[in-house]
Amino acid sequence: MLGRIWAIALNTFREAARIKVLYGLLVLVFGANFLALVLGAMSYHEDVRVAQDIGLAGMSLFGSLTAILLGLFLLYNEVQKRTVHAIVSKPIARWEFVVGKWLGMALVLSVLVGLFALAMVLMLAFQGAGMSMALVKATLLAWLEVLTVAAIAIFFSSFSTPFLAGIFSLAMWVLGRVTPEIVDATRAASSWIRVTAHVALEIVPDLSLMSPSGRGDVTIHSDFVSWGYVVCSAGHGVGWIIGLLALACLLFARRDFV
Amino acid sequence: MDPAPAIDVRDLRKTYRTPFARKKVEALRGVTFAVEPGTIYGFVGPNGAGKTTTIRTMMGLIRPTGGSVKILGHAIPSRAARFKVGFLPESPYFYDYLTVAELLDLTGRLFGLSHAERTKRADELIDRVGLGRARAQSLKKFSKGMLQRAGLAQALMNDPEVVVLDEPMSGLDPIGRKEVRDLILELREKKKTVFFSSHILTDIEAIADHVAIIARGSLSAQGTPAELIQKSALGVDVTVRIAADVAVDDLTAGATHVRRTGDELSLTLAADADVDAWLAKSRERGARVIAVAPRHETLEDLFLRRIASADASGEATEGRV
Repeated sequence: MLGRIWAIALNTFREAARIKVLYGLLVLVFGANFLALVLGAMSYHEDVRVAQDIGLAGMSLFGSLTAILLGLFLLYNEVQKRTVHAIVSKPIARWEFVVGKWLGMALVLSVLVGLFALAMVLMLAFQGAGMSMALVKATLLAWLEVLTVAAIAIFFSSFSTPFLAGIFSLAMWVLGRVTPEIVDATRAASSWIRVTAHVALEIVPDLSLMSPSGRGDVTIHSDFVSWGYVVCSAGHGVGWIIGLLALACLLFARRDFV
Repeated sequence: MDPAPAIDVRDLRKTYRTPFARKKVEALRGVTFAVEPGTIYGFVGPNGAGKTTTIRTMMGLIRPTGGSVKILGHAIPSRAARFKVGFLPESPYFYDYLTVAELLDLTGRLFGLSHAERTKRADELIDRVGLGRARAQSLKKFSKGMLQRAGLAQALMNDPEVVVLDEPMSGLDPIGRKEVRDLILELREKKKTVFFSSHILTDIEAIADHVAIIARGSLSAQGTPAELIQKSALGVDVTVRIAADVAVDDLTAGATHVRRTGDELSLTLAADADVDAWLAKSRERGARVIAVAPRHETLEDLFLRRIASADASGEATEGRV
């Protein structure tokens, strides 16, 4: 079982590594970090803070967008181009195929997040600052967010076209990111709006847990979250990844490949 | 006692619904056949008859609406069955960034073969299908025929007991077609069961032990070619040499397939025609007899007859609805 999943994952990694847009994104992220240098120089003794904020935001934003892009096309293309016919006719269960696709995407996204983090560290080193434990935790949380978004995209592309799956995935990502803001905004609203918002947020992973900096008193620059918080957020992310992949596997198993 | 069939398809049905109108489309209407182990089974039918739907259902790519498929006694889509089957999809699409060796390596991994087994088997198969020179090329640069060969190689990677080939001769030149025919015959010599579909009736007639004709989603005929094709003569093919300026209207009256090129006249007389009298009459005009041979039914004749009959009954049924 593991051998088959790994075979699909490695093949997916190889396939994703050929997508030229990813290299464009890398350039964009390195460019954003360079921009942080310029903006930092224009600020009043806040150059390190600017580099950290832009570096982490780039990691989360571009990482999540890449996850959506890969999730939409890698699974859909298999069905559309009929490459899946020669694969699922072999002794591999369809759920193994879906998990293998996600794992391959997770490998690509991990490399990307690693490179984004490297770009940020280089910029910080250029400014004479090092990698703090808070930055390590924030990077880990951003990585988890990206993997969760990949599972969201895989789930929608298991039964939908890339266009619709893209809209659904983006909507779920945005909703997940602004969960606390929605809760705050609906606090004074009528009860049915509060209930509707509450129900809607229950069916969306709370991605804001993975980007805590700037919420309340939590900030990457001084008082960041504990390791216990990181582990709990990781549990939330892993739970959603397992749930979304399980649903994607169920839906994919019922599909006819005509 | 007859051995258990290698492939056992019973009352296979597949009904689709159109996306918006939800209209029912019956792609398969109770297809039943059995393929004996160690034989070659040819599956023919016009476009849209249900060949590929049958094959994809057999391979677990499509879930049937009704009926069952068993391969070597294992119900589809069980993993146990797929371990013993090799499959070439119609117009195969593979990951075009892989080389043929990498494609076979991926296939071998899915069958759980060890690294040494994968390498050995891939090397053998690449040479067997004639892709030795293209070993390092990505599949993106392959012609349709080369892709077909790569597809055949991946279908044989697990040394399967049953090989299912959807249009294996498609896109191949005459030499490639002959090589595939030889490969299929070689598989039968090794006691493998081969099930293949094709539009090329001469290929099926040449190598298949059993033939099934599918039309409008149901089988219209099945059996050995000898059982299916009428043994009695359909007519008599005659070729004579006769001067180009001699009138032959009375000789060609009632004949079919009449062709006159230069001083050669070819035609087909009815099966019950008096051939001796016709030859005597032609000799009176100075003709020299080149060839006289009875015309027997071919698989193509049978195919056209069955398809026409299925179309007529289908139209009649639709007319009643």
